[in-house]
Amino acid sequence: MTVSSRERPLILIADDDPDILELVGFRLERAGYEIMRATDGEEALQLISERVPDLAVLDVMMPKVTGYEVTRRLRDNEATNGVPVILLTARVQEADVERGFEVGADDYLKKPFSPQELRARVQAILGRR
Amino acid sequence: MISVLTWGAAALAVCGWVSVCALAVRRFVLVRLERRRGKAELRLRRVALALLEGESVDLTDLNGDDADVLATVLGRFGRNLRGATTARIASFFERQGEVYRQLEALGSRRPWRRATAAFVLGDMGSRQGIASLRAALDDPDLAVRSAAARSLGRLGEPTAVEPLVQALAERRIPRSVAGQALLAIGEPALPVLRNLVRAPEPEARGLAVELVGLLGAASDGAELVGRLRDSSAEVRANAAHALGKLGAEEGAAELRGALGDRIPFVRAAVARALGVVGDADVVPELLQVAREDSFDPARAAAGAAARLDPAAVRYAAAVPGAGPHLHEAADLVEMAG
Amino acid sequence: MIHGLFHVMSIIALVYFVVLNGTYLVFTGVAWRGITQHRRERRYAALEEAFASPLTPPISILLPAYNEEAGIVQSVHSLLALRYPSLEVVVVSDGSTDSTVERLREAFDLVPVRKALRAGIETAPVLATYASRLKPSLTVIEKENGGKADALNCGVNAARHAYVCAIDADALLEEDALLRVAKPIVDDPERVVATGGIVRIVNGCSVDHGRVVSVGLPTSSIATMQVVEYLRAFLVGRVGWSRLGLLLIISGAFGVFRRSLVEAVGGWSTTTVGEDVELVLRLHRHLKERGEEYRIEFVADPVCWTECPETLRVLSRQRRRWQRGLAEALWRHRRLVGNPRYGLLGMFALPYFLLFELLGPVIQLLGLPIVIVAFAVDSVSLGFLVAFLLMSLFLAVLLSVSALALEEVSFRRHASGREAARLLAYAVLENFGYRQINDVWRLQALVDLARGKTKWGEMPRRGLGLPNEAPSRS
Repeated sequence: MTVSSRERPLILIADDDPDILELVGFRLERAGYEIMRATDGEEALQLISERVPDLAVLDVMMPKVTGYEVTRRLRDNEATNGVPVILLTARVQEADVERGFEVGADDYLKKPFSPQELRARVQAILGRR
Repeated sequence: MISVLTWGAAALAVCGWVSVCALAVRRFVLVRLERRRGKAELRLRRVALALLEGESVDLTDLNGDDADVLATVLGRFGRNLRGATTARIASFFERQGEVYRQLEALGSRRPWRRATAAFVLGDMGSRQGIASLRAALDDPDLAVRSAAARSLGRLGEPTAVEPLVQALAERRIPRSVAGQALLAIGEPALPVLRNLVRAPEPEARGLAVELVGLLGAASDGAELVGRLRDSSAEVRANAAHALGKLGAEEGAAELRGALGDRIPFVRAAVARALGVVGDADVVPELLQVAREDSFDPARAAAGAAARLDPAAVRYAAAVPGAGPHLHEAADLVEMAG
Repeated sequence: MIHGLFHVMSIIALVYFVVLNGTYLVFTGVAWRGITQHRRERRYAALEEAFASPLTPPISILLPAYNEEAGIVQSVHSLLALRYPSLEVVVVSDGSTDSTVERLREAFDLVPVRKALRAGIETAPVLATYASRLKPSLTVIEKENGGKADALNCGVNAARHAYVCAIDADALLEEDALLRVAKPIVDDPERVVATGGIVRIVNGCSVDHGRVVSVGLPTSSIATMQVVEYLRAFLVGRVGWSRLGLLLIISGAFGVFRRSLVEAVGGWSTTTVGEDVELVLRLHRHLKERGEEYRIEFVADPVCWTECPETLRVLSRQRRRWQRGLAEALWRHRRLVGNPRYGLLGMFALPYFLLFELLGPVIQLLGLPIVIVAFAVDSVSLGFLVAFLLMSLFLAVLLSVSALALEEVSFRRHASGREAARLLAYAVLENFGYRQINDVWRLQALVDLARGKTKWGEMPRRGLGLPNEAPSRS
């Protein structure tokens, strides 16, 4: 599934904090994207299995399945291998950043975050495709 | 005597049951209130989000309760955000008079009201609060001081760096609070922090060194290297740690010298840092520390040697008398494959 | 003569109850203030910052396990997933005869590694140590059986960080648990040496992936009684004692300690069943003898959930064991009782525990019958009997109910009105039968102790297993 076969790019947002889901979702919807929301890693994986998104914005610390794990599974699966991932987290120590890139994330955004910056990064990643 | 007791107990019992009834009523009322607030919040979230986008929203017909809910929602959102959006949140609160109200509350006689006000001012993001927050760093109550410190950090105010470190040096705020606030201010705090690395008080130096390690660049290595000979062990250990974090390779030679420090936890920090910035030359010394030193430094040295030269560690571990730390390090190297 | 004897005994009983319930009333007041203050403090607790901060001290979680194959993998997963900036998990299999270690090996890709252990505390021999390829912060140790205290001590020897968190294998922690319980330490690392959190009952709650997702009351009456009891013991009792600086018990199910201090006092005691009480007493003693300024704090937030016994038989075993543990700990440190050198601890807290917790059951069981008989033989007036009933039974009911009220005002985990009403009913009922049975068991434990009985039955473990420690009256 590529961007061209859809009217609007589909973005999956997963975070157990409803405020983040709201903030990020609203901002990206306003920017013209279609949004899928998940409140934990398990739900995220399930939504992905139903519709493969063009980009995934994942919180790292989520119950049941963490953002790292979701990213790893995305990379392991051929159908979802190409989905770019932006990881969101409150915790930014080198070990975490390294780990993020190790599992195959494309970008890393620290909380508190700037919505404009997030949108810019999303656009940058999706624009490349 | 007996009758006194009887009446006393009876009175208590009556009071007790009365208050239980009062609580039951209160609970009922609270639950209904919460449900109403929940619905209001759902409604007002869109308003909040629109405000964040910078759209003009008509707020004139907002009743008191709704204004409260909106403020809470915005405050919560604000905690997650940075950048231009926070400026919009701040101006909203300023226009509504909320900032003014909280500044007033900072003068309250009750410590918890002052502390809550100090905390909320940080969430609201208004720069109007900065002067009062700085003054609150001298409040008699610890919670107020800590909340003020955290808010100054959230507001990202560079002029607050020195007062924060001062407050720490005088033990007016806990280290973790000061540290976190300074980290929140981030890079703008660096110039002052770099100076404070030479402050008279060891706590101030210690924290400044630690934060330069977290915020600074490799070029700060030269100054930190000087701290390896500080009089305070804590500062020496922090300096070693910071040099490792910054990856400052010019520190390697001095660190090597510091492997012989008097204090075990300093030696451990030095060893760990060498694992990052050292080179193959220092491995034999690290191996010696790993064999002979006490638990913590030996362990750190074994780990550091393994990072620099895994083969050497494997080799050394096979020699009799290598000690448990080299064995552990070698096994871990083996496991990593 | 009989007249006079009954008269005197009745007065003693009355005075006992006046003092007991009176102090408890004071505790309730203290706890109320403490929790209200805590609620306010939560507004500016800044937990997110602590979570994100590289300055928050790392913690080593120690997980002693004996034949825990059923739930060990899930427990370790949920511990590793706790919201805390830096932690490691050390699982110590205490001579497990089932597939505990095997399951861990499979789930976490364990590899034998010669882990270096401190020689700090003597323990039963270690058989093997493992590291995990999957999770670098996990260590598993296999050792010869030595008991929970011994396993914890082994964990202390293996721990990497400056603080250790002792936890039961069957305890469920909330996501923020470590952040909350570590907060007093983060705020004042030089003085706060240990902290404990509230233990709540999980029977009746729904659990998913090792976390409590919704709180509910158990269906059985025994378990519901214990919910009320735990609320009173923890919310009022521990908070109260903590605010007086006299916290004597950090639940064996969940507590954070400064590692070097635990090592310095010799770790948990392997020769008593009340190792949690005994350790805290020993810490107090050690620090007071050195004249060091310190604090042992209790965090009122609900953070830890354990299963409670649902049958009278298992409950009785648990309570007898606890009573015996208390007796052993107090005996071991009997020098402190009434000793002004140990400040309020020696002069107030320990005598209180001795009198009202240890010896209490005797008077509590015999009190009412004695007074009734005394009334029947005209040794005491009707007024006296009424006063006695008020002081013993009705005030006790009031105290149970006020503990509920405290919970209602502060945390309100039991959200539905029906559940609150049910708890209220049990709070009243608790004093007419449940407490008395408890007293019988505790008396039994003392008698057994006096007779030198040393064998203990094994505690059956269901899916989650049973907690090692029971709440006290306070």
